[in-house]
Amino acid sequence: MASSTIQEPFDLIRLSLSERVFVKLRGDRELTGILHAYDGHMNLIMSDVEETIMLVDVVDGAPPGQPATVNVAKRKMPMLFVRGDGVILVSPPSRT
Amino acid sequence: MSFFGCQTIIWRTSGRGSETGGAHENEDVAVYTWGEESYDGLGDALLEGGDDLNDETFGGGGSVGKDFDFAGQTNLLEPEIAQGKASALEGARPQSVVEQHPRVQHSLESIWNDKSPFSVLPRENGAASRREPPMSQFSPFPESPVLHQPNASQGGPRTLQEIEVEMRAAAQRQQNALRLQQEEDQLLQEQAYQRRLAFQQEREREQNRLQMMQLREHSQHQRTPPPRMLPVSQSPRFVDQRQMMLLQQQEEHQHQLRLQQEHLQEQLRMEELERQLRAQQISQLNQGPTHFSHRRQPSGPTIAELQALQQQQHLRQRSQSPAYRDFNVAPQNSAQLQQRLLAELAQVEYMRDFQGATQAEQEALRAEAMRKIVEAERMEDKRRRKAAKIAHMSRYNDLMTQSDKDFITRIQVSQLVTPDPYADDFYAQVYGAILRSRMGLQTQDERVIKFGTGGGVGLGPNAMQRMEQQVERIVSNARRREEEKGLHSLHSLQGALGKTSGRSYKAAPRQLLQVDDPSTNEGAAKEAAKLSHETLGFAQTSNVVRKDPLTRREVLTILEGLYDVVLKVEQLRRDQPNSEDDEATREWQTEFDDMVEQLWDGLRVLVPLETSNPHPFVSLMAPSKGKKLLPRLTRHIGSSRMLTLITLLVACFTQLDVVRQAPVLDGPDDTAEYAEVDRQTQAFLGSVLQSILPVVAGLELHVVTALFGLLIDRSPDVADVARTRPGLALLTLFLSRVEVVKQAWASGAEAAPTAEAALEQWQAVFNHFFLLLTPHLLSLFPSSRINGASLAIDMLDQPVWQFLAALALQAVPEQHQVLVTSLREKVLENVLSANKGWVADEEERRTKLANVDLFLHALGLDSSLITV
Repeated sequence: MASSTIQEPFDLIRLSLSERVFVKLRGDRELTGILHAYDGHMNLIMSDVEETIMLVDVVDGAPPGQPATVNVAKRKMPMLFVRGDGVILVSPPSRT
Repeated sequence: MSFFGCQTIIWRTSGRGSETGGAHENEDVAVYTWGEESYDGLGDALLEGGDDLNDETFGGGGSVGKDFDFAGQTNLLEPEIAQGKASALEGARPQSVVEQHPRVQHSLESIWNDKSPFSVLPRENGAASRREPPMSQFSPFPESPVLHQPNASQGGPRTLQEIEVEMRAAAQRQQNALRLQQEEDQLLQEQAYQRRLAFQQEREREQNRLQMMQLREHSQHQRTPPPRMLPVSQSPRFVDQRQMMLLQQQEEHQHQLRLQQEHLQEQLRMEELERQLRAQQISQLNQGPTHFSHRRQPSGPTIAELQALQQQQHLRQRSQSPAYRDFNVAPQNSAQLQQRLLAELAQVEYMRDFQGATQAEQEALRAEAMRKIVEAERMEDKRRRKAAKIAHMSRYNDLMTQSDKDFITRIQVSQLVTPDPYADDFYAQVYGAILRSRMGLQTQDERVIKFGTGGGVGLGPNAMQRMEQQVERIVSNARRREEEKGLHSLHSLQGALGKTSGRSYKAAPRQLLQVDDPSTNEGAAKEAAKLSHETLGFAQTSNVVRKDPLTRREVLTILEGLYDVVLKVEQLRRDQPNSEDDEATREWQTEFDDMVEQLWDGLRVLVPLETSNPHPFVSLMAPSKGKKLLPRLTRHIGSSRMLTLITLLVACFTQLDVVRQAPVLDGPDDTAEYAEVDRQTQAFLGSVLQSILPVVAGLELHVVTALFGLLIDRSPDVADVARTRPGLALLTLFLSRVEVVKQAWASGAEAAPTAEAALEQWQAVFNHFFLLLTPHLLSLFPSSRINGASLAIDMLDQPVWQFLAALALQAVPEQHQVLVTSLREKVLENVLSANKGWVADEEERRTKLANVDLFLHALGLDSSLITV
């Protein structure tokens, strides 16, 4: 029964409904939060969201080998609508 | 200086020549003697002037048009000149020979250089026709358009503007000629009138030719459809259109052919007529002015026919797209209009000259003409603007074929179609029901808002009705299709994205590695063993095959499946048929029971306890949606099954995630782990306990005792359970149920035949529990376990005080002593901080006192009795 109900990719996302998920977005952003709803465009509604934004600062005129500094900004939102065109990845959070 | 070289000859031959000079009497041509001794100097005496317009008046030096019937003209003069001396027959003949001479010699070059006003006119019935031998026109291939197209014989293409300019010039010249002719005598005017008549005839023909040309252009234009339409669409409407167009084109083509043939016949007839006319002219010398009416007669009907045909064509054109029509007809119309206006003007002028109208009348006529012109121009302008507007609006007409439109309609309709409209907008319906009940309306029958009740804007009831019917039909069709598709839903998507070539998708990929998977065999064996055990019944639980606990993904998959079933069951409940219909009720009941059975199996409650740790059911309760599923199940599966479920839950209580993870809640509250456990705990308290509460509230004492005992037995350390909020809540639930039963018995509300035995049993279990718990009483309080003081700590302590109160109610007096001794510190601490004002606010103080009082009241005490 376990595998017979999985017919399309969205069935896998359905499994994560009302679970905490990790979402990777375009623009170096990541979200973790509880997934409440999704649709065919991968629009998501999430609650209790923590957003992580990677800010990569490339120093002007720096030699190519020099690594850019990466700043991480975080913010929390109680409820969030995520537009589907920015979604790259939806996965259950890694469990330790 | 003579205008007509021929005339000198005529005059000479008619006898005058003998007087001009004897020396050159025998010469064929005029002999001039400038510079010779015998030159009489008459050339100098000639008045050289007023010759400027000679060309326009009499035609250029090159070829003359075809319609100068000088025979008639000169013959009219002849009686005066020759006084019947010379025979008219003799006079006419050489003239006609000379006149025809340049025509016969027509070359392409000379046509091009032809300056005469009539050179712009078609030669179909004139010189041109004479150029071609008649035989070629009756070739065995009369349909060949190349042979018969007047355009091709015109010696190069000409634009409308050129033609127009030439026409204008011709008209101008015509006017000039008319003006010059004013000075001529009556006879000459008559002659001019005849010429005009001929000219008008010619012009009519010219117009016909122009229209035909435009028609041809038009049909060519139609023949190249817009690129979008090139692929022939399957839409019936479109095919019709195209067929219409083709038919029209064919018709037009046939028309052209017929017209050409008629032209040829006409030409022949005209030639014949001309010959006859000449003969007539010869015989009826003095009736010159009127003989042109004969000429019109034979050609009249043909022209009328032509015009009628063209009008038909016009009408047919008009029945087509307005954009096409107006765009293409406009220049034609304007050209026609100008021609008409010019003709009118000329006619007016001519009439004026002819009738010798007064100056005032002339003015009036001119004003009238001007007014007409202006009005016509305005109308034309208006019409053109309108046409342009329509063309602009219909720019994108027919961009979409009918099948495109059908396709889009199908998409839209498919969004409307649903097997169950009520379920589809379930939330809207529920919200509507709530709203209605809030407003006090109890209209259950208006559950679904009917289509069209709102009324369309500007649509009559008829149109509305028709639209409704149409939509209904479309929807039912789409629904039927949907159902058909549903029968083989898997196949419906087969090949939707195109077919994969080859057989690779049918055949399994070639196996490259041959590795035996021992686990699958083992798993299968286990499965078989388990199945056999299950069929043998639960008696052999000792032989239960242990399995790995469900993986998280399995749990989630099962839960989603269960939710599906729950939704179906709920829908089924809404669709419950009337009790009168036995057949339907039975069917419905069967289906419903089947669904409930699925639910029950899905919960895995009956799976033996030892199968795995955690038990599958406990695993299912781990995600928050698993916990939330339970309240939705309880009303379907019945209370006896719920009791089984509760028993399992109690037996596996320590396996629950909320119990195992509970210590996290004593840690710092700013971690993700804390938040997660807190969320799960809230879900458990709110969902699972709430759903078992009504069941427990109806249990007999001995059942409660059994459950209580089971909980203690199955828990390695009962204090650990009591230290968790779910555990504490469950214990409190059991204790309070016992108290309720006791009170009911005490008041005699319930008969208790086995009361004594049950009470004894209960007390034994309780004493055991109390003994186990006593050493840990203080640690039950979160405030004692959590180091940093939390603001809401009293709220967290509250359930503990409640539990202790319930405990105190069941305790015997000796146990009260133990309780008070153990909790004395905690009680005093709370009362002191409340009384001494060591609290943040009034609310906290009240909470502390209320908490303490909960417990003290159970002992028969009160916080106010405590004085420090």
